Amino acid sequence: MTADPFTLWHPVASEHDVPYRHVHHGQLLGRELAVWRADDDFVNVWENRCLHRGVRLSIGSNDGTELRCQYHGWRYANRSAGCTYIPAHPADAPARTICNRTFPTMERYGLVWSGEEPVGEPPTVDVLEAGTPFGLRNLPVHAPADLAVRHLQAHRFLPSDRLDSGSVAMSVEWADEYSVALTAATTDTDDGSASTAVFFVQPVDSGRCVIRAVLAETPAASDQMAVLRHHATELNALVARIEAEAALLPAPEPMVPVLQQVPLHLAEVPEAPSGRQAALRVQVRRKWETAAGVAAFELAPIEGLLPTFQPGAHIDVHLPNGLVRQYSITNGPGETSYYRLGVKLEPDSTGGSVCLHSTVREGDVLAISEPRNNFPLRRDSMRTILLAGGIGITPLLAMAQALDRMSLDFELHCFAQSAEHTAFSDVLDGLGESVVRHLGLPPDETVAEIRRLVAAPDEFTHVYVCGPGPMLEAARREAAAAGWPDDHVHFEYFKNTTEIDDSSTFEVALARSALTVTVPSGSTILEVLRESGVPLPSSCEQGACGTCVATVLEGEPDHQDVYLNDSDHQAGDRIMTCVSRALSDRLVLDL
Amino acid sequence: MIKLYDYVLSVNCYKQRLMMSILDVEYETVPVDFFPGWEHKGEEFKKINPLGHIPVIDDDGYILWDAHAILVYLAAKYDPSGRWYPTGDPGLLGETASWMLFAEGTTNTASAARLCINLGYDFDLEACQAGAHRLFRVLDEHLWFREREGREWVCSGAHPTIADIALFPDVVLSEEGGISRLDYPALRRWTDRVKRIPGFEGMPGIFPASQGR
Repeated sequence: MTADPFTLWHPVASEHDVPYRHVHHGQLLGRELAVWRADDDFVNVWENRCLHRGVRLSIGSNDGTELRCQYHGWRYANRSAGCTYIPAHPADAPARTICNRTFPTMERYGLVWSGEEPVGEPPTVDVLEAGTPFGLRNLPVHAPADLAVRHLQAHRFLPSDRLDSGSVAMSVEWADEYSVALTAATTDTDDGSASTAVFFVQPVDSGRCVIRAVLAETPAASDQMAVLRHHATELNALVARIEAEAALLPAPEPMVPVLQQVPLHLAEVPEAPSGRQAALRVQVRRKWETAAGVAAFELAPIEGLLPTFQPGAHIDVHLPNGLVRQYSITNGPGETSYYRLGVKLEPDSTGGSVCLHSTVREGDVLAISEPRNNFPLRRDSMRTILLAGGIGITPLLAMAQALDRMSLDFELHCFAQSAEHTAFSDVLDGLGESVVRHLGLPPDETVAEIRRLVAAPDEFTHVYVCGPGPMLEAARREAAAAGWPDDHVHFEYFKNTTEIDDSSTFEVALARSALTVTVPSGSTILEVLRESGVPLPSSCEQGACGTCVATVLEGEPDHQDVYLNDSDHQAGDRIMTCVSRALSDRLVLDL
Repeated sequence: MIKLYDYVLSVNCYKQRLMMSILDVEYETVPVDFFPGWEHKGEEFKKINPLGHIPVIDDDGYILWDAHAILVYLAAKYDPSGRWYPTGDPGLLGETASWMLFAEGTTNTASAARLCINLGYDFDLEACQAGAHRLFRVLDEHLWFREREGREWVCSGAHPTIADIALFPDVVLSEEGGISRLDYPALRRWTDRVKRIPGFEGMPGIFPASQGR
């Protein structure tokens, strides 16, 4: 009985084929593959097709963490193949369900193995397990795999240490559908020189294959080139014989790979999320002090991969003490095997940072939400100015790494008490001269420095600010005074320090749900809607993160948030339902 | 200043633009309406090059045609390091000349196939494609062994030569001539290395490589 080739592991590349920053163009069973090694040594085997226009990803560029399609610049993350960037997308936030097709991967004996739906692991070969495998030159063959396997059984070569040998006996160790192992032993001397080679045949298509040969023992360094040349010569002659025979046979029909159907969960209308979501479970893989009073955490998935994220995104972390806190993801693009957070200890706050600093340890499991981006980075501006105050570095660090990787012009200004108080210095060092440190400035000099940095507004530059409240207020004031338009200056607040006035009572009509509710004093719109069964996502629930936004169709909002800017507040067409209320008797929301 | 009689989609003209960009030589182009105007076959252009083909350079009155000859001239004159056309090393110079002749073959097969498909030239397309595959197989094996020897370029020196420049456009645009490079992974890796040479510039259909590690 012959095994179904679609359930087997096959070699799709040799380690020589996947150096860093390269994309190998491969094919298996009729399906074209893009095979690329990320800087973390993970080898990706993907369908060779950009989801956008079907362009081959093998002409794309591998920047070490992401693969970028050459046509319109869509980017896909290492490992998950999730789409991280669509250049024309206004919010810089492609749905994380946009994901290229990936195939299982494993490296063994200097070969990259993959398959359509392979079962178990790639074959283990005793002679290679026991030896020191040495890869020979691969040869593409214009003939079906079974023909190559048949000819390989009559293939001849010389033992590695006796390339001058006059007389050699060949023996077939074994042969199956896709591999042959041969031993060559001298017969003209008593020294018993012998070499074993395993020939794996990769079925490229019905009429094409690649012979990937591995010697069981690595030859002495001084003999290696001669051994490689010997095998290449013998295999070239063999391939000529195989192709001559194949040319006499009728050409088989090419295989037609099955393109993946749209997954069911994408075809259906998704269930609207309500409240704070904690869909993911992660383990604290590493916890360390990245700066004085700042703990860093690496959160790794318990199984599978983490969802892709955009620079500026945050997650909700559900803490053992019941609190829910938001932390920015500081990772660079394509770093999908963990999320890295930075948490500053705030002893006088309500206990989120204290819990993370003192209670949470390496190995603990935490519930987190999927990443959400309410602080999107525009990657279509000529220049970007990032202003980070203290722990406000966290979202801006992700942005800086993304801009750096895309070779876009940016400067990251880090305001901190001292070098010891600067979080993630190692990552900052890697960003070179784009990083400017402003250490130990008193408040008035900080303001003066911000004034200098935003002195010259221009329409091709965007400014992003994250830091403590007074710094954000200063930046907001100075940017406005210098004449920056509101939509070029972007803020992320840690928290909303505004004293919330929830004394009003008003009516909220929901245009799409055909429902009218009354929001009494002491309750928020969000709470009343949730009690009425209207789902609405939320995160910080204090008017800082932007998650619970709703569109206002009629009525005058009473804004109490810090997420929307002054122009947004004046326009009055959006409202943060967790803190803001109504000045009019009635609001109509597009819900 | 050098004047290059140029057509933007011509691989042979691109070889000159690439070489001058890498050598940081200033030049101006004189666009020739190669397609669909066939200006290079007209009486006026034949006063410049009686053979009626481009590229042609005019370096302060010194006129030279033939793509690979111009590369020899440019490198010999404008590369003070003497590495692109290594006249100081007879062994390397011989290799360079040998691979320049090989590049005549890739131009007459791979790039000729591209002219058939893109510009409707009446060559034997199948023969061009089969010829290109024969040469690519040889070049792929050659470059695979170069990599095993710890070398990066077509010739055995540590620095690229005009042979790399002469071969690169024929290879990298082969898919426009219906010649897949799926079977030539070492050739594909070498195109990445050429793209990372300081001063590299592309042409329509050639994309930049990512930064090296």
